[in-house]
Amino acid sequence: MFRHTPLRYGALVLLASAALFQAFTAEYFGLEILTEIVILAMLVIALDMVAGFGGMVSLCHGALLGVGAYGYAILSTKLGLTPVVAMAGAVAIAGAVAWVIGAICARSHGIYFIMATLAFGQMGYSYVFEAPLFGGDDGLGGIARLDLSLIGLDLNDGRSFALFSLGVLAAIYGVAVLILRSGLGRSLSGVMHNEQRMRALGLTVWRVKADVFGLSGLISGLAGVMAAQHVMFVSPGLLSWTVSGEALVVVILGGLGTLVGPLLGAAVFVLLKHEVGALTSYWHLVVGILLIAVVMSRANGIFGWIEARFGARIERRAADAVRDIDPREVKTDA
Amino acid sequence: MSLDLGFWTLQALNALQLSMLLFLLSIGLTVIFGLMHFVNLAHGALYALGAYFAASAAAVGGYWAGFVLAPVAVAGVGVLLYSGLIQRMRKSGPMAQVLVTFGLIFALLDITRIVWGDLALGLEVPDLLAGRVALLGVEYPAYRLFIIALGLAIFGALAFALSRTQIGAMIRAGVDNDAMAACLGINVERLFFIVFCVGCALAGLAGAVAAPLLSVTPDMGLQILIPTLIVIVIGGLGSLKGAIAGSLIFGFVQTFGAVLAPQLASVLIYALLAAVLVIRPVGLFPAKG
Amino acid sequence: MLETRNLDKSFGAVHVTRGVSLKLERGERRVILGPNGAGKTTLFNLLVGELTPDSGSVHLAGENVTALPVARRARQGLSRSYQKNTLFDGLTVEENLGLAAAIHTGHATTLRRDSLARPEVREIVAEVANQVNLMPYLHARVSEVSYGVRRQLEVGVALATRPLVLLMDEPTSGVGPEMAKGFHDLLNNLPRDLTLLIIEHDMDLAFDVADTITVLNYGEVVFDGLPEAARGSTLLKEIYLGSWEDA
Repeated sequence: MFRHTPLRYGALVLLASAALFQAFTAEYFGLEILTEIVILAMLVIALDMVAGFGGMVSLCHGALLGVGAYGYAILSTKLGLTPVVAMAGAVAIAGAVAWVIGAICARSHGIYFIMATLAFGQMGYSYVFEAPLFGGDDGLGGIARLDLSLIGLDLNDGRSFALFSLGVLAAIYGVAVLILRSGLGRSLSGVMHNEQRMRALGLTVWRVKADVFGLSGLISGLAGVMAAQHVMFVSPGLLSWTVSGEALVVVILGGLGTLVGPLLGAAVFVLLKHEVGALTSYWHLVVGILLIAVVMSRANGIFGWIEARFGARIERRAADAVRDIDPREVKTDA
Repeated sequence: MSLDLGFWTLQALNALQLSMLLFLLSIGLTVIFGLMHFVNLAHGALYALGAYFAASAAAVGGYWAGFVLAPVAVAGVGVLLYSGLIQRMRKSGPMAQVLVTFGLIFALLDITRIVWGDLALGLEVPDLLAGRVALLGVEYPAYRLFIIALGLAIFGALAFALSRTQIGAMIRAGVDNDAMAACLGINVERLFFIVFCVGCALAGLAGAVAAPLLSVTPDMGLQILIPTLIVIVIGGLGSLKGAIAGSLIFGFVQTFGAVLAPQLASVLIYALLAAVLVIRPVGLFPAKG
Repeated sequence: MLETRNLDKSFGAVHVTRGVSLKLERGERRVILGPNGAGKTTLFNLLVGELTPDSGSVHLAGENVTALPVARRARQGLSRSYQKNTLFDGLTVEENLGLAAAIHTGHATTLRRDSLARPEVREIVAEVANQVNLMPYLHARVSEVSYGVRRQLEVGVALATRPLVLLMDEPTSGVGPEMAKGFHDLLNNLPRDLTLLIIEHDMDLAFDVADTITVLNYGEVVFDGLPEAARGSTLLKEIYLGSWEDA
């Protein structure tokens, strides 16, 4: 079950400050990169929720993002709904789709779960690719951003949109933490540790998995809506399994099951992609080697490594400082 | 009516040819899984390497040089991968191994681009197999018949090797219970190594025979990976029977789906996979009950 | 409280249980004896629903539960501990008990605050921790406590769902004689209205705790009755004690 540590708070503050600094000072290109990071961060939070805290390694999260993006595109451009309603509708559709996928895949484990989610993801990809409604290979354009002129924000301005995305990401992070720290999140940790026993104790395991997968789908859908608004265009590539694969790489690079780590991973991944991409066209080679190195180092990603290296020390120091104020808190967390 | 029949014969042969190609790929993957409990996602990349090796060798020594060299060279790459990466990951659990091979996909993709460039390579069908053969009332390309025959021959050889030879018995014992097999004095690590290399060689062979049918591109490995994974999951991981059954199901559903329901063709196979996973979460013929 | 009628189960050609009929009254403490391979654990799996019988039925508190899945039976008051520890290894003792208590109190699936912070859950955790002597270890991880403590926790987790019927699969399996004696006190301190069905190899413990004894052999009930009668029975000696002493 997720909990914040001083180190995690510290990392969050650092990441948030860096993002805000970038949002207020960067020029066009910097803002684009920031927004790309922020939207990827939303997706990897959703993925870490199921993979890191529920053992459900999903390869359909890219497709769920695509469902959100296409849902928003269709609802707003073809059905003419206002952006707010279209957003809510798209997120709800992505959540519902995810719930159904989660319910069906709940019986599968390990590689079978990965394959089952991959199958559903690819099913969505092929369908979107071929159905005329979705514009096929050409995708759909002309997607409007949310109108926030009521509160004085013009989202067609890159800086405002980056800030708005950051706000959405902060809300998503908060919601993810609340979910993981709820009764449902507690049961999910039980299921990940010992599914058979949870069932023997009376838990309807598939419901818990489906519910968490559905909630994760809502977040992925929202990430998709934001992606659609960001580039104002959607194409089948959004649903491709390589998007899911990249999201998984980011979660692993950042640190599975740490929630903060994948945020860091998203930043590192996108920055590396642009930096390396500027030097060479062989960017995948770098990612591949990096992924192999991280996995072979046996550390839980970048943030997991930092936690293993410095976490204990910082925690001890913090615990000493806190002990006088609230002795009970320290005891339950020990 | 006779024209109709010929059409369906043609489709059936096409389906069979696709099935056999997938079988060559999936058999290595599935037996490696059965023994070592991890899915080598880079298997598709090895297939692409096989196609590249074949194309390069064919440019010098003709088709048959590539046909012979590709499996050997890919098995060599397998040796490097096994001793460099896989062996060190033996104790790290299946998820870590899957992720390492996932990283390998990316790395090998770019390595092929660095070595052979981004342009597609071509490979000619050998003269011996260039023509068409009259079969069951249709004219069918000899090369495609060759692939079908090759696939069936390898299926037969593997079925014989697994059921009748000592190493086959060792592999079956290892798939069934590797700890017990080790206790019985089987050198399990060596067995893993041999099976891994044979699996890689078959992937290389698949790449070599597929090369004249497709254009050889860096992402051909990625394109074949998903169908191969679908085959082994539908068939059930770890078994020869599962690999052949899964290959045939995929080949026929894909080919006839494209003819009968073009709108649904690409969704059909994924829907079938989802259905299999729901009804039999471990596939049709898993190695273990 | 718990009843089975003609339970049959076979794996291939092997009959693991044949026509097993049992009837436990509320508050009854029954020990199941039988040599290895007699079908004791299979019977437990059939009772809780981890296996489905080929024929026959299981009744819990008067209701036929044969068709119900594991989780539903558990929620209706059937709980079990395992012969081999089946715990949440990375979590603390308190969290282990809390997960079970949360399911019982209906807080396991809410999106509101952590189930372990709820007073009802904390109350059950404290109560069970007292019953199975886990108070000193509440904040230790399972991986940090001794095997004996884990055996206690194995029973504690099963108890934390507040069951009507508790099935215990060799609770003293693998622990030394001292610990086994401790278990005996622990069992005697459990509430009298809790129905217990215990698989046990320790004969002293078995005869001490049992109100009634059932002996299984080759999947069949070969004795069903009071401990005194079992102690004197030559049949039991032959098939159980005999083989036991030979071993």
